[in-house]
Amino acid sequence: MIDLRDVRLNVAGRELLRDVDACIGGGEFIAILGRNGVGKTTLLRAMNGWHAPAHGAIAVGGDAIHALPARERARRVALVTADEEFTDALRVRDVVAIGRFAHHRWWQWNETASDEDAVERALAAVRLESYGERLFSTLSSGERQRTWIALGLAQATPVLLLDEPTSHLDVRVAHDVLSLLRELARDGKTIVCVLHDLNDAAAYADRIALLGCGRLLAFGAPRDVLRGTLVEEAYGIAMESVETARGIRIFPAG
Amino acid sequence: MLLRLAALASAAILAAGASLFVGGTPLTPHDIVSALLHPVSGGDVATIVWQLRMPRICVAAAVGAELAIAGVLLQGMLRNPLVDPYLTGVSAGAAAAIALAILAGVAAPLAPGIGFAAGLGTAVVVAALARRGGGIDANRLILAGVSLSAFFSAIVALAVVRARSPDAAQQILAWLAGSMAGRGWHDLLLVLPYASAGALLAAVAIPGLNALRIGDLRARTVGLDVGRAQWLILAASSLLAASSVALAGLVGFVGLIVPHIARRVVGSDARALLVACIFTGAALTIAADAVSRTIAAPSEVPIGVLLAFIGVPAFLYLYFHRGLRA
Repeated sequence: MIDLRDVRLNVAGRELLRDVDACIGGGEFIAILGRNGVGKTTLLRAMNGWHAPAHGAIAVGGDAIHALPARERARRVALVTADEEFTDALRVRDVVAIGRFAHHRWWQWNETASDEDAVERALAAVRLESYGERLFSTLSSGERQRTWIALGLAQATPVLLLDEPTSHLDVRVAHDVLSLLRELARDGKTIVCVLHDLNDAAAYADRIALLGCGRLLAFGAPRDVLRGTLVEEAYGIAMESVETARGIRIFPAG
Repeated sequence: MLLRLAALASAAILAAGASLFVGGTPLTPHDIVSALLHPVSGGDVATIVWQLRMPRICVAAAVGAELAIAGVLLQGMLRNPLVDPYLTGVSAGAAAAIALAILAGVAAPLAPGIGFAAGLGTAVVVAALARRGGGIDANRLILAGVSLSAFFSAIVALAVVRARSPDAAQQILAWLAGSMAGRGWHDLLLVLPYASAGALLAAVAIPGLNALRIGDLRARTVGLDVGRAQWLILAASSLLAASSVALAGLVGFVGLIVPHIARRVVGSDARALLVACIFTGAALTIAADAVSRTIAAPSEVPIGVLLAFIGVPAFLYLYFHRGLRA
């Protein structure tokens, strides 16, 4: 589904990541981890076609994603970004319906029946069916996050990329959001998600991409990646991991 | 929604109908209906209706609709409710060029064309200065628009001070205050291609404008080429604003307040908003023009002055007491 081959990403002429090789299949839940500024968001945006690799290639569905027209990209990959303020008095349904933009012809003003179906399905998937007429500005942080995910789902893409979807959320709402992403992956959607909480990544992701030292340090199952030495190399502090009934958990040592 | 749009359309038609009765020669409803049904009858009434009042109503409707569309496009693109269609320097550039043309003794019929070209030219310069990457930087656009407007306003002030005859200064001030006096079918035909092009570009820009309601970044994620959409919106609003300046000089306030009124009636969906702005802008400007002709008859109060005197307090009242902000 997503192929990264020998990818090097530069930002403002500076090399941020190099030698990134990964192959992500359909229905996988991938967590991207690494310290602040390591290039997690840049890598996610490159998978969305916003950053052309300085070297190598990123293909989604067999095509170099950055070379595709904007609408075609948005029919293959949906990106849920960190919150951005806006002042318009929009209903939740209006926000989610904007996700159908890429499925319209350039002259098309009105939504079709299939657009309305897609919006309803997206709202149902994030359990916001009864919130359609609510003003977005009246929602809680968790509800807003679910609305943004619904916007991505309304795009009806095989791939959903998420940039820190659990930041600013309490533990219960974060669990709701991650469980929802887990369900979506089970239903066949490819989920790639930047996270900060190592244990959330361990609990929900199929595989973890650990970034550090300007490269992809490790890409594999949580049990293989979240070992003390690798995580210490990525974050620069001593860590220790323990096995639990629900898998591996990792904490700062001492 | 359709009912609300129909109500706004009715308001515009009502304003146009009422405006047909306004003028130096009193006309009865029978006179007007008869003239409307027999446009080529050749009588005095038909001439008054078809050659004086009707074109003036159409000019007012066109100016109001153009400014309202330009306003809603720019406010939507910049997500700033205080933006006015003259932000791109169209008005200041046009005013400066017309002032210089009047000083140079250029024939009056050429003034609208000069104003249009200079207004559009200024918008192009402002857009070039605001360019960043493939799109438009909102802060640069506002800074460039405000700076160039200040520069051109200084030229206008200098032209008024240096005008050799009181007539020339009067002509310049008349342009600055805005008026539909003496405008006819010919003026409408001259700007029709540019206004139509602007309206067409606006219609094409509407789906993108809707997507921009959730922010530039998120609009990109749903597949909008934000840079291209910004250029489209800027081209449409500049063409429409320049056309309105060529028709009636500087008519302020319409492009600022009408999008707010329309938003209050139909919400923020750009599709309904565009249609609502056309009707509301037309209704407001037709009504204001009719009042400007009668309030101090036989002389006219400039429509820009009238709109500011009545509209600004009304706008402030609505904004602070009726929750227009919502």
